[in-house]
Amino acid sequence: MRRWGLFLLVLAPFLVGHVSLSRGMWENRAQVRSETEAGYVLPSKFSRILALGYKGVLSDFLFLKTATFYGERHMLGKSLDEADWAFLKAGLDVVTDLDPYFFDPYLLAESYLAWEGRIDEANLILEKGLKHRDWDWRLPYFIGFNHFYFQQDYEMGAEYIMEAASRPGSHPFLKTLAARLAYYGGKAETGIVFLRGILAEMDDPHFRAPLEKRLLALERAAELEKLVDRFQDEQGHPPERIGDLVLAGYIDALPTEPYGGEWVILATGRIYSTSKFVSGKGG
Amino acid sequence: MKKVMALSRITFLEGIRNRSVFGIALFSLFILGLNIAVAGFFMRDVGKVTVDMNLSALSVAGLLLVFFVGVNLMAKDIDRKTIHLVLSKPISRMEYIWGKYLGILFFIATSLAVLLVLSCLTVLLLNGMYAGYFGAFSWPMFFTAAFFVFVKIAVLGAIVVFFSTITSNSFITLIFSICAFIIGTTIEEVVFYLRSGFAEQEIAISESLRKFIEAVSYLVPNLAAFDFKTEAAHGLAVGWGRIGFSLGYGAVYVILLLILASVIFSRREFN
Amino acid sequence: MIELKSLYKTYSPGLFKKKVPAVRGLSLEINHGDVIGLVGPNGAGKSTTIRMLLGLIRPDRGSISFRGVPLKDADIQYDIGYLPENPYLYDHLTLEELLAFSGRASGLSSAETKKRGGELMEKLAMTEARKRPLRTFSKGMLQRAGICFALLHDPSVVILDEPMSGLDPVGRKMVFDLVTDLKGQGKTIFFCSHILNDVERLCDRIGLMVGGRLLRVLKREDFAAHGEASLHLVVNRLGEQELSGLHPLLSDIAEESGRHVLSFPAKSLTAVSEQLHALNVEVLASRSDRLSLEEMFMQAVEENR
Repeated sequence: MRRWGLFLLVLAPFLVGHVSLSRGMWENRAQVRSETEAGYVLPSKFSRILALGYKGVLSDFLFLKTATFYGERHMLGKSLDEADWAFLKAGLDVVTDLDPYFFDPYLLAESYLAWEGRIDEANLILEKGLKHRDWDWRLPYFIGFNHFYFQQDYEMGAEYIMEAASRPGSHPFLKTLAARLAYYGGKAETGIVFLRGILAEMDDPHFRAPLEKRLLALERAAELEKLVDRFQDEQGHPPERIGDLVLAGYIDALPTEPYGGEWVILATGRIYSTSKFVSGKGG
Repeated sequence: MKKVMALSRITFLEGIRNRSVFGIALFSLFILGLNIAVAGFFMRDVGKVTVDMNLSALSVAGLLLVFFVGVNLMAKDIDRKTIHLVLSKPISRMEYIWGKYLGILFFIATSLAVLLVLSCLTVLLLNGMYAGYFGAFSWPMFFTAAFFVFVKIAVLGAIVVFFSTITSNSFITLIFSICAFIIGTTIEEVVFYLRSGFAEQEIAISESLRKFIEAVSYLVPNLAAFDFKTEAAHGLAVGWGRIGFSLGYGAVYVILLLILASVIFSRREFN
Repeated sequence: MIELKSLYKTYSPGLFKKKVPAVRGLSLEINHGDVIGLVGPNGAGKSTTIRMLLGLIRPDRGSISFRGVPLKDADIQYDIGYLPENPYLYDHLTLEELLAFSGRASGLSSAETKKRGGELMEKLAMTEARKRPLRTFSKGMLQRAGICFALLHDPSVVILDEPMSGLDPVGRKMVFDLVTDLKGQGKTIFFCSHILNDVERLCDRIGLMVGGRLLRVLKREDFAAHGEASLHLVVNRLGEQELSGLHPLLSDIAEESGRHVLSFPAKSLTAVSEQLHALNVEVLASRSDRLSLEEMFMQAVEENR
């Protein structure tokens, strides 16, 4: 009994020391990580070899690292600089090189690279998935969405969406969507259908939040577009400014724009916003 | 203390005369030579590449030393019953553990010191050849990073000693130690992944998993805390606080592990 | 001096495996200056007994005391020198370094270590090999190096586990002489062996161990000829008449597996021989001892099958 007592007596201060030092160390690391630069991703030419036959595991690990890097910055509300973007892109590139069948990096590329305005980079990575996951309708769908929504290239968009619709398990709405896309082009309502489709695929609140915000903006824009059409029908000419809708009594007050911009009417009759539906750069 | 030192002395001698040490030294020399050979291929950051390769050579050599020679020094005693002879002398089980650990530590320190001298020569040589491309290089940072390579290996040494006390087979000790090493190097990514928003995707498992990982993060050393390679490569300044934390963390972890090992060892039977 | 009281030890070799009883109820008292040998077949529990005595393993039941003090409180290691069976010493050390360690571990000064070590190496003819790494040693040299290691601090109790196994005749003679020498110095010696001849010549007492039990402890009188020299002849079973004819000349008659063993003083050999001739008794064999240790050993093993 006495020996155990002595043992615990010796052990106790070290245990306490260990726990407190561990705490401190973890806090320290969190800070160091947020301060250090994004770092360097070994090109897949080399990492393929260094993986020593464990390409799958290495790709999982690199994906984890890349996702964590972005998540940490996102949580701390830090904006990403060019080097950070390069890291994110290179990371996803290497991960999809190591294992081109791995779906998660494609989702990450679509949700973050594309939605933060890096469409070309996103499409480049997604094309890899399009080729390898040739049974998966989501990849052409993502690319088509990018073309349509961000780049306003309706023809290309329709092409990819048609490809998506022909793959097994795709949503039935894709067929009509492709047709609509070719016909209506970039009306807000088309965007809404798109976003609803994408939201049905997502259950992660972190991914959903920005999409829902955009959906809200588009729904409001679509509402206004309808009013603009009615204005045109009844008055014989389109409203000159968005404020005309209120003045003419079509609506009591303009709905708030979720991204904080001002509603504007484009020459095509489409409603857009000065914020371009992007939250103030980087935040 | 005299007995501890006597035991650590023969452990050291037994380790340093092991033939695999030459193999490991040759391997590191090969990397250093490779460094000199390829340095010209890089455009600007020759200093960074040199530091990267030198520190990695040290680190890999240290890992090989502790996992192969270190495990052997500890486990062969038990495998081949030499421990019967040693414990028939007036050496307590606790003195045995500390003597063995210090012996392994001296052995690793000596080997790494020799390699460090060689790698300093490489750095000096390349610094002379490509003087313009060593802009951010700083010797103090280089030595700090090299020292923390040693600290990392010292922590792994304690892990090896600890596992040898609970298994009777050197192969199992090796497997356990390598597992601890792999977990130790990856734990940081996992912990920060769970802390970042992405983990919330897995709402169903997150609570219990988070607790489990939290517990593991206290049990297994976070080896990333001893990694100053990036800072050394780019000559970035590191605060004393961070150095102190990392060093204290490593030292307390080693002591804690050895106390536990001593207790387990003194309960153990040798047949 | 050393008291082992009803020791029990069972090994559990691992999960789902049958437990193996190694020592069952062993009691033995070793007095100062005793030379005690344990003999028994492999797996009889000899080494287990020694390991319990050294504190390497703990008995499940029973107690060990050294000079009246329970083993775990007695600093027995200062008084004990131990040579394991087939000692594995460190490959890359030299004998000198090994002895320096032994000396420091036992608290000797380096001058003492040097002096004692030199003497021991001299005695065991190891002086020339003292700077060679141990991995280059032959088996006999390792055994002798192990003896140097064990005896360096001049222990009062020497424990030897199979000291003769694997040695050539020269090496055996060397070890034998050393043990005789130690015996002369009044050391307590405890060893186990299955080379019965050595045990017989060296020991004051012999413990027969089979299957974890100490079956008998034989005193010297029981297994060695003593007093005036006796002769023993083995003959076929004799009738009453023949026995009565021989009786006056014999010191003892023993019956053993259907034969008679006749013992008589050496000086009456002629008379016995004539009488046997007269009675027309055929002599089958002669023996130096009535019952050799080997026979006792085999008998004990047989009985415990």
